Parts: sequence; C-alpha cells; structure tokens
Amino acid sequence: MRHEYLFPEQHGEQIGTLARSVTGFNPLSCQESDVTLSEHVRLQIYGTAVSLCRARELRAVGQNPDLIIEHSMGIYPALAVCGSISEQDALAMTARVGVVLTEAFSGLRYALGCLVGLAEEPARSAAARHGVYLANYNTSRHFLLAGEHAAVMAALEACSAAGAFSVSLFECDAPLHTPDMAEAAAELRKIFDDYHYAEPAVPLLEHISQKHLAAVDIPVFLLDELLHPVWWQRSYQAARSLGCTVFSEVGAGDALKKFNRWIDSEGAP
Amino acid sequence: MSEELISKVKQMIIDSLRIEGMSADEIDTDAPLFGDGLGLDSIDALQLVVAMEKEFGVVVPDAATGTVVFASVRSMAGYIAEHAQ
Repeated sequence: MRHEYLFPEQHGEQIGTLARSVTGFNPLSCQESDVTLSEHVRLQIYGTAVSLCRARELRAVGQNPDLIIEHSMGIYPALAVCGSISEQDALAMTARVGVVLTEAFSGLRYALGCLVGLAEEPARSAAARHGVYLANYNTSRHFLLAGEHAAVMAALEACSAAGAFSVSLFECDAPLHTPDMAEAAAELRKIFDDYHYAEPAVPLLEHISQKHLAAVDIPVFLLDELLHPVWWQRSYQAARSLGCTVFSEVGAGDALKKFNRWIDSEGAP
Repeated sequence: MSEELISKVKQMIIDSLRIEGMSADEIDTDAPLFGDGLGLDSIDALQLVVAMEKEFGVVVPDAATGTVVFASVRSMAGYIAEHAQ
C-alpha cells in the first residue's frame, strides 16, 4: 500500500522540512523517508505534523484557543501549540517515543481494537476475560481496546457476540495506554526528561484526570498517559463545564468531533 | 416508498450527523453514504442507528444489517418503510 500525505502549501512545507530535520522523515515526501522508521512511527510523526499544520492554519485566520484538550498522542503537538515546547521538540519527541516503543515491544504483536456500540461494563468484562484493556473511553459507546494481537482479536469477537454494533482491529507497535507499557517506562522517562517545558501559555487540560497541566507536571504526565486510558468523554465534558462552546479538531480526521456529537446527543451526565 | 419519506431520511441524516453547509436536496438519493459518497464511518453509523430508532421506531440490530441499510438514502427509506410499526 502506498500512503500519500497531503499538506496545505506553506505551513505543510515548513513543517515537513522541520520534521525531516529532526526525525529523518518528511511527511511531504515518501521518497525522502528514513526507511529505518517503522510505518507506525512514520504515521505518528505524520499525525503530529498534521496537527501542527492545522494549528498554524487556525492561528493564521485568527482562531486562537482559550483552552486546549488533548487525546492520546495528540499531547505532543498540543504541548507545542500551547507554547510549552517547540514544534521541533514535538516532532522529535513523537519520533523518539515511537522508536522506543517499537524496540521495547518488538517481541510480540500488538493491536488496538475499535469497539462501537457496546456499553462500558460488557466491554470491560470482555477485555478482562481476554487479558486486554480498555485504552480509550471515548464516549459511552465508543471504546478502544489494547493488548496482544490475538487477545484483542478474541476480545473483539466476544464484544461482537455481546451485541457490539461494529468492531475493527488495527496493528500497532505497543500496548498503548495500558499498564503493560511499564516495561518501557525507564526509557520513556529518559526521553521526557530531556526536554525543557515552559508554562503553557494556553491552558492545557489533560485526559487522565482533567486537570490543567503546569510545566512541572508535564514530564510526569507524558509517561503516565501512556500507562493509563484516555478519558475523552470526561475531558470534553470538563471543557464544556469550563464554558467552552466551540471546538476545533486540530489533526487528521474528525473522530473527536463525532465523539463530541455523540456525547452531546446523550445530554448532560 | 414515498418522496416524503426520502426527504425525511435526508433531513434526519443532516440533523443527526450535524452536517453543515449541505441541504437535504443536495444529498443524492442513490449515492453511497459510506466511502466515496458522504464519507460516513462506523461512528456515524451508530449515530444513524439511534436516530432511526428515535424518529421512526426502526431498529438496525448489527453492523451487517447496517451495511445493507446504510448503503444509500433509498435503502434506508426502504428499510424504514418495511419495518416501521
């Protein structure tokens, strides 16, 4: 399969060049890619690059955020957008984390299981029975499972049997957002301790306990968030309760916008 | 099935999926809703399942049925006409 990465002119070219200088991979040009990076790592860099481009576009038309909330790997560009680290550091951190995870978990196959339509309790029960975890609590009916490939597949089959509307499986390099990530904690901590974090110029709400991140909290959170699930519904509702009414998804795709739509359709908790 | 039902289905799609900048008239009755058509995905599908149940009292029990039902506006209207109480 051939992936084409499309960026808007100007911002895309600048971010692409920046990405190549710090990661060896330019999302603008597959021919210039560093082939030593796995496809998953390149996709992660691509994701960060897209978010940085999109944020620049929004700023260019005067759309400046009052609050930033983040989801999973979106924390790296979010840190750059809130002014805590540079765009260059966000791209480098994304690549370094990806490489460490690829190496640390190279012995087994891992997967993410996308689960739509099942409630939390049966989803959690199916995950526990098969030794995998709920890694993302996106809405009351949208979850992501994480763990070993075969176990995630078995858990998804159990979820289908329990009445899930749809399930799908994606390969990944590591058991993201699960306690199993502790295996790579020492190496990851070294990465996060390598950077200087300024106080966020725009308030940044984290996805574990929905607190505002201060500079001193950031390296700790960066490790914690890889070992804990993403609580998107709680984060979105926290932002709502803080008075946010307009949300711009700053990345590839529009999954968060759709999750938010679902959460809104269910009304206040 | 009636044109009125087809129009209602189109409006339900726009309202439940919060599609901006498009009116019901602009949705092609026979175009695919997923992939190349409106570009919907499984998150949208579940939202449509809930909307169909709420608005028409019709249940789409699983993704396999959904694949057939949500092929186009016409297939959705046909399913509703067949299953509405």
